[in-house]
Parts: sequence; C-alpha cells; structure tokens
Amino acid sequence: MYRYDEFDAAFVRERTAQFRDQVNRRLSGEINEDQFRPLRLMNGLYLQLHAYMLRVAVPYGTMSSRQLRMLGHIARTYDRGYGHFTTRQNIQYNWPKLRDIPEILSDLASVEMHAIQTSGNCIRNITTDQFAGAAADEIIDPRPVAEILRQWSSLHPEFSYLPRKFKIAMSGGPHDRAAIRFHDIGLQAAVNEEGEIGWEVWVGGGLGRTPMIAKQIRPFVANEDLLAYLESILRVYNRYGRRDNKYKARIKILVHETGIDKIREEVEAEFAEIKGGVLMLPQAEVDRISTYFAAPDYERVNETIDVAKEKAADAAYGEWLDRNLHSHRQPGYVAITISLKPVGGAPGDITADQMDAVADLAENYSFDELRATHEQNLVLPHVKVSDLREVYDTLVENGLATGNAGLITDMITCPGLDFCALANARSIPLAQEISRKFQAPERQRQIGDLKIKISGCINACGHHHVGHIGILGVEKKGTELYQISVGGDGTEAAAIGDILGHGFVAEDVPDAIERLVEAYIARRETADEPFIAAYRRLGEAPFKEALYGAQ
Amino acid sequence: MEILTGNELMSGATVYLDRDGRWVEELQQARVFLKEEAEDRDAAIAATKKTQRINSLEIETVTLKDGVIHPDRIRERIRADGPTAPRFDRQHLDKDGHVSI
Amino acid sequence: MALNSVAFAPPRPDKLRALGIMALNGMFDEMDGVAVLRQATTDLLKDDVAIVSSFGADSSVLLHMVAQVDPTLPVYFLETGKHFAETLDYVRTLEAHLGLTNVRWLRPDPKDIARFDPKGDLWETDPDSCCHIRKTEPLDAEIAQYAGWVTGRKRYQTKERGVLPHFELTSDDRIKVNPLAYFGDADVNAYKTKHGLPEHPLFAKGYRSIGCAPCTTIVAEGEDPRAGRWRGLNKKECGIHFDFNGAIAKPVAAEDKTLFKDGAFIADPFRAWAEGDDPATVRYTHIPAKVYLENRDAVLANPHPNGLLIAPADKVETLANDLGRFASIAISFPAFGDGRGYSSARLLVERYKYQGELRAVGDVLMDQVPLMRRCGIEAFVVTHQATRKALESGQLTTVNLFYQPVGVTEVPVGTRPFLRRAAETETA
Repeated sequence: MYRYDEFDAAFVRERTAQFRDQVNRRLSGEINEDQFRPLRLMNGLYLQLHAYMLRVAVPYGTMSSRQLRMLGHIARTYDRGYGHFTTRQNIQYNWPKLRDIPEILSDLASVEMHAIQTSGNCIRNITTDQFAGAAADEIIDPRPVAEILRQWSSLHPEFSYLPRKFKIAMSGGPHDRAAIRFHDIGLQAAVNEEGEIGWEVWVGGGLGRTPMIAKQIRPFVANEDLLAYLESILRVYNRYGRRDNKYKARIKILVHETGIDKIREEVEAEFAEIKGGVLMLPQAEVDRISTYFAAPDYERVNETIDVAKEKAADAAYGEWLDRNLHSHRQPGYVAITISLKPVGGAPGDITADQMDAVADLAENYSFDELRATHEQNLVLPHVKVSDLREVYDTLVENGLATGNAGLITDMITCPGLDFCALANARSIPLAQEISRKFQAPERQRQIGDLKIKISGCINACGHHHVGHIGILGVEKKGTELYQISVGGDGTEAAAIGDILGHGFVAEDVPDAIERLVEAYIARRETADEPFIAAYRRLGEAPFKEALYGAQ
Repeated sequence: MEILTGNELMSGATVYLDRDGRWVEELQQARVFLKEEAEDRDAAIAATKKTQRINSLEIETVTLKDGVIHPDRIRERIRADGPTAPRFDRQHLDKDGHVSI
Repeated sequence: MALNSVAFAPPRPDKLRALGIMALNGMFDEMDGVAVLRQATTDLLKDDVAIVSSFGADSSVLLHMVAQVDPTLPVYFLETGKHFAETLDYVRTLEAHLGLTNVRWLRPDPKDIARFDPKGDLWETDPDSCCHIRKTEPLDAEIAQYAGWVTGRKRYQTKERGVLPHFELTSDDRIKVNPLAYFGDADVNAYKTKHGLPEHPLFAKGYRSIGCAPCTTIVAEGEDPRAGRWRGLNKKECGIHFDFNGAIAKPVAAEDKTLFKDGAFIADPFRAWAEGDDPATVRYTHIPAKVYLENRDAVLANPHPNGLLIAPADKVETLANDLGRFASIAISFPAFGDGRGYSSARLLVERYKYQGELRAVGDVLMDQVPLMRRCGIEAFVVTHQATRKALESGQLTTVNLFYQPVGVTEVPVGTRPFLRRAAETETA
C-alpha cells in the first residue's frame, strides 16, 4: 500500500488547516454561505436533507486496517456509529456537525486520508478494480498509476473549476470490474505490439440523465505519456466543455456533440505539444511507487478448498464460499468479498464495530489490506485458503457473512430521498423490500448472477442504467414511482438498460421484479445462462410482457 | 398555505420558523403563512438571510388538517421525521444552534 | 485679539484671513483676467508670487496676460523628463513669442530618479509615485518660498470644478490666483485667435489637455478635454498637491487602487474597453480579443501602449502571433466557477511565452488566487472586500505544496514526475 512521505503528509495537513480556517471564517460570519459552499464541497462536505454529509476519499478503494479503524473511530465519535460506502469506493458520514469537520479531517490526515476533491467540479477520487493486485486475470496492478494520478490531480490549478465533475476509473485487465466505460475517462491496461504495457483510453462515458457508453479515444498510451495525455484531454474538456447548462456539461456531452473523431484530433494536437515535457513519467518513478504496492510476502502454500464438500457440511458456509470468493493470482490464496448487503439492511452501511472487526480481519488474515468496491462491499484481497473458516466465523459473529456477492440481493443502492437533497424518491426501503422478497438462499442461487441497481433520481448514483435490472425512482404528483429498465451492463460488455414501460408504485416493485425473474427462469437455455445473456438472446418482448402483460 | 424551513448552520438540522420568529425543530410549531401573508413571509425570509445561520432556506407548501400541518411533498415529510430506512432520529440542534429573527 | 493684530500687521497673506479674501472676489469683471493678475502681482502678492504653467494647449492665454502685466514674473515649467518633444519646443516658442524673460525649468532630483525610477517605467506601474518624484517634490521645494501662485485653472474644465473663484486661500495660508476662472473653451479659443497666439503643435492632432507623454491621450470630439489625461488611471488630477494648472489634487483613493500586483494594491494604469472605443486610437485599454481580431491592422498601427482582454471562450491560439504587442493581458473570469481562464493563462505563458503582465479580472476571490498564480497570473483586479483584506495582509489560507508541474518555473525535481516542493514565490 502507498505510504505518505513527508511531502504528502504536509500537503494534507496544510489542506486541513486551510479548511479549518474556512470553517472559522464561516462561523464568524466573515464569509457567507454562497462563498463557503464551493469551499466546503471541495472538501467533501455537503448539506443534505437532515444534516451535513461528509464524503471521505478512499483512494482507488484501498485501505489499511489502521485506516478503517480510524473510519470507525470517526463514526463513533462524530457521527452515529456507522458509515456508508458509496459506488465510488468512498465512505460517507450522514450526521457530522460543521464545527467537528476540521477535527475529522485532522483525524483522517493522521492515517493518511482526506476528503479532498470528493465533490466539486474537479477530478474526483480515482477508482479501480477492487481485486487489483490480487486478481488472477489481471495484466497489471493499476494502483501505482492510480496513486500517481491521485497526486497529479490533487489541487490541480488548471482543473479545479472544470465545467462539471470528472471521474476516472482504471482496470488492470480485460475484465472490467470498475465500470470504466461509464466514466469520464476509463483506463484499461493494454499491451501494444512491442509487448509494452500501457493503457487503452476511453472517454465520454457516464450515467445520469444522459447515459453514454465511453468511446475509445486511443488504443494505447505508454505509461510515460499517460499524464501528458490525460492533461491533454482535461485541457480540451476544460476549454470546450459546455458551461451553459449543467446537465450538458459533462465530457460525455462534448464527445457526443463534437464527435469522437474531432475530439481525438483536438486531444492529439494538444498531446503533440506537451508530450515529452515536464509531465513525462519516468519508469523510475513508476517503479518507485510500485514498490509500495509490491505483492505481500505470501506463504508458499497450495491449498485448495472443495466448496461442494463444505456445502454439504455447512450450507451457509458453502454458499458463502461459492459466492464471495474470487480467484487469486497466488496459489493457496483467495480474495474475499465482505457483503454489506444483509437481508433487510441498508446497502453499503457498516457500523463502527463492524469496521473494527473487518480491520482486525485484514490485519490478521489479509496482510493488513482491504478494499472498498464500487458495488458497496468490502474485500479482503489476500486471504489464505486455510484461513477461510476462521475468517468466515468472525464475519458471522459480526453479521457480515452474507453469501450473496453478485446475486439478486447484492444491490447497488443510492441513499435516495431518505438522505439526499437531490433525490426524488426513496431507494433504501425499496432495496430492503426486494432483498426480503428474495432472501431465501436457494431462491437466489436458482436465479444466479443478477445485478439490480437502484437510483432515487435521474442523477443515477445507484447506476440504474447499467443494472441487469435497473430501478429509477421519480416523483409524480406527490407519490414515488419507480421505472424499471432491463439489460444494462457495466462491464466490458457495456450496455444501457431499456425502459420497458410505465413506472410502478413502491409496493408493486418487488412483484414486478419477481415476474421478470420468472420470465427469465422460464426461458433460459440452461441454469448456467445468466439473466443478462438470456435478455440479450431473447430481446425485450418476453420481459415486457412479464411486466405489463400481453399487449 | 406555506411554511418556511431550512437547515441550521452548526448542526445542519432541519428547522422551521415559528410564530415568535424562532427557528425550531418541530414542524408542528411552524408558522403557517396564508396567501395574503406573502409580505410577512418575505420579510421573514429577508430577516433570516441576514442572520447567515439558516441554510437551504425554502418555502414549502403545506395543508392543515385538524390543526396538524402536512407538508405537500414527501421530501418534506421525510425531512420532518428523519430517514425512514434505516430509521434514524432527526438531527437535533446544539445549545448554540438556536436562531431567532 | 485677532482683529487688533490684523490692524497693525503688515499685509501678509496670512493676515488676510480675517479680512476675508473672498472680498476680493467680485471686485473684478469675470472675464478680466488681466486685471486679476495685475492686482495679485502688483498688490496682494507683490514680489511674492509665481506662475506655474504646463505649456499645454491652453497655456498661451495666461502667459500672454503675464507678458502684458510683467514679463519678468517667474514662470515655472516642470520638465518631468516625460514630456512630448513638441511640448519642449512649445515652451521655447511661447517664451520667444511673448518675450517672457523668467521661465524656469524645474527638473526632478536625479537621485530620486535613480532610486525610484531607474528604468523610467514607474508611470506604468505606479503613476502616483511617478507624479510625486517628477512633479510634487521639485515644485513643492520651489514654490514654498512664495506666498501664492497663479494658475490657469478654469471652472468649466472638469466636473469637479464647477465653482472656482478668482482668489482662493489655501489651508496653509497661501493664495491661489485663478485669472481664467470664468473662461470657457470658446473664450480661450477666441482669446488665442484675437491675439494670434501660437498653438501647441499637438493641439491640431487632437490633444486638448496635455501632460506627460505616457499619461496623455487624444480627446475625442465633444469629450471633456481633461479626459485625455491619465486616461484609464481613474483619476483626474496628477498625484501632486497641485498640478500644472495649480489645482489641489486629490490623492488616489484607496478604493480606486484595485490592481493587486507585486504585493500591493496600486492604481491601475489600464482601463476597460468601453462601448464606442476606437481600436486605432485607444491607449492603456484592454482591447477585447474579438475586437482586436476584427481590427488587427488598426490595433497594430495604434502607437499607444494597450492590453488585450481574453474572454473565457477566446482561443488564445488565434492571438499567438502578436502577443508581444500588448503590455498587459487581462483574462476574464466572469464567474467563480468558470475555469477556462486557467487554461488560457497556462497556454499564454507556457506555450506562447507571453512576457508581459498577466492579470485576472472579473469575479476574483481569494480562494482562486493561489491557483491563478500557479497558472502564471501575477496581477489581480479585486473588488471583493474580504479578498482585498486577505491579499493586503498576506493572509491567504492556501496549500503551498503542490504535486504537479505547472507554469514555467515549476520544474520536476530529480526523477519525480511532479515537482514536490513548496511554492517558493508567495508574493502576498
């Protein structure tokens, strides 16, 4: 894991002091709310429906146990004993008070964390594959470059007032677990003809009210040119992105309206000017940062686990093994998903005590490392197969052993109208109802891989466009209505879901989902054909009929 | 009919303007402005802005049923009671969070 | 007691306070400047009066009167070292034509020049100080020996001068005499014609109020004649206690010093482009890039120093060829959230090697200033009070460390891709 050097520490300290001063100026009346708002947003502080909300960055989703313990400490000391993990691998606190924020930031700084650029029209926290550095299918661990990008983008003087927010996601291999095609820039590790490792660059993806799949802007950029190339894209966007309408200000609209070829031309022209200049990234620097992310000192073991046998002995454990393990590049090791989606729970929420428990697990069983996922779960990235039972038992004790990773109840859900000032409808209660409806493990297993994603408004924080089943809450004449879409996919097979018809009131949504599921099960070729594959093969007609009856 | 609502600066808590010009936690204590009291309402807004202590100041339409105030928007009902799921109590004002106009 | 002492004291001007100098006013026909001048030089201020003249476009009238009353009266001309050559010629022309025998040239102290204005560009950065060392200092020292002096001021000249008597008592008990107080523009011209007085060579070229060359511009038809002086400086008088024409000048008010540069707020030598401005003749004006592109030949032929105003949507690439022509470039930030100017600034400085003054105008708040500085902007036009305070006190709360190399001074250290050191030149 990256460790701050003196410079990084001083940087975050200064930033904290700066914000402390800004808060004091606000409290003393020296600056008013209009002046304070952009400053607090740049430090991740929102004002929501009931209280302030502080969003803390978890850079590329990687944390140490010490950091997670501090997140727990903050939840306990300044909040209501819990935190909420988001789809951008960050954590949010829903109840902090303004005067405590400088202290919270100071506590965060003590464990090398911050809330810088978790809001505002700037380059946001860079996200990656939660299995980075562990996954068997990975070309390269993206985190060293992600760390370099974190540094490059932190308080960038040219790109702090972009037309709109800017999100970069990275994937170290061909299997995209970071939804890079739905980010402003997506970087996918690639190998060129000379065998060099670099990045395939995608641009202009996004969700929100105008969902767009990113377009490839360059098949290959070498590491040494990456910063110059990204700076070129950002400069073109900063200069030419629309500023007349905030709903059309993301780079996806610029790419869409201008055309990818023209944008590519502009970016290449800019790149030609600055390539090889001060932003050239020397291999030595990549190597230096990479040493922080060196593979841990794995034991030479070769143990495997017979999931079927375990299942026979202990169904719940077997279920959990079946769903929540991910194959590791190191023999004898696995990565574990800790689901934050218990039946009837609020997706992504975790208590301070649970944070402590997970921190202990990371320390004892995962080389002190853990990850936040964009699907609002946690990951222990390097667990020895022989430790699985102990880890599982501890998770059970702490209510964290839900074996539903990738199943219908593992939903992405935004905070919705229960918390969010932008939302039009509630999301969490709906997720709770759906998870209760499908709670039986056999039922979930029968359905198989199915991603439901729920957003409480058109801004699509719940990624509903890319849910195999997506749910969008809207308000119509004082009632919450939910629009259902089908066929979205956030992976390398990127697709935006199709809305099949009118919306449903909340009470009717679980049954509507049930009908979709039944339609799929009735028509799938084999039990191994997942929902999304069946939808692609069958088209929308049978699903539409399932929702609305024969027309 | 309308009420005035906002979030108090220190705690961020939801507050309502009552009949005595105080910003209070309880929705049912909110002063209800009739249509013809628009001037009073605007004066209260102006006075509140001067305090610099109430953010996200909004006019909300409400209905009175048997003397009980019902905000027309779901959003306002949730703001008044706290989140429905997970169920949490609303944010409360600190000692120094009491604002009057 | 005061009355007694007045009765027996010699008629020194300071004793005239009790008698009321205003009594003198009204004793003369409004237009009889010669009579006023004669009274002052032969009676009230006999042997104790000086004439100060700018030898500008209107100066011949007063000097003609001086020649009639007494051509040996001391006439002071401030040779600031910044005059048009035509003005220096004109001093000699009038001197000869009118037979003046006592024209005295006052020059600034060379030590002051060496110390405060070694490059001769002080007028550009700090016109107040320029006036001070080139006018106030030399004239103050000289004029202190006289009990009063004669000016060529006219009440119509500026809006501020609606009321101007023939005789005035200054706060330090001295007397100012304004023989031309009631003269209008037409009266001046008629007098010049009637007496066949030679014109200032620049008068025919459109100059109406002529001071030092850098701070004087042509006045448009119908424009206040003094509008051409210190155009863009947002002031009507030079910084001295009295200008060429003898007016008591107001110092530039602090709130008029809107340009923050090199650690201090100063009066801005530039003005904003205004509707109806002519790109061929404006000076010290930030010409909008669009106007410049549409009138490129006219702007390039314009002999005066000018600046360029770059709006957020302007493509700096299209301006790259002529950047050296502009002494100042103003980048406009019309709204706090509009960040295009940061890119424009970097391109100007880093790619197109612009060397002149780069300033931010518009909605400049303290929290943007550190970012602007890093992008190469060195001057800021600031109106927001809290920001002014923060800049003046040097108490900008900011992060002085940065990761990424930006600008022309931030270069990577060693193998690091980013410069990782504190910003070293915090001017505030």
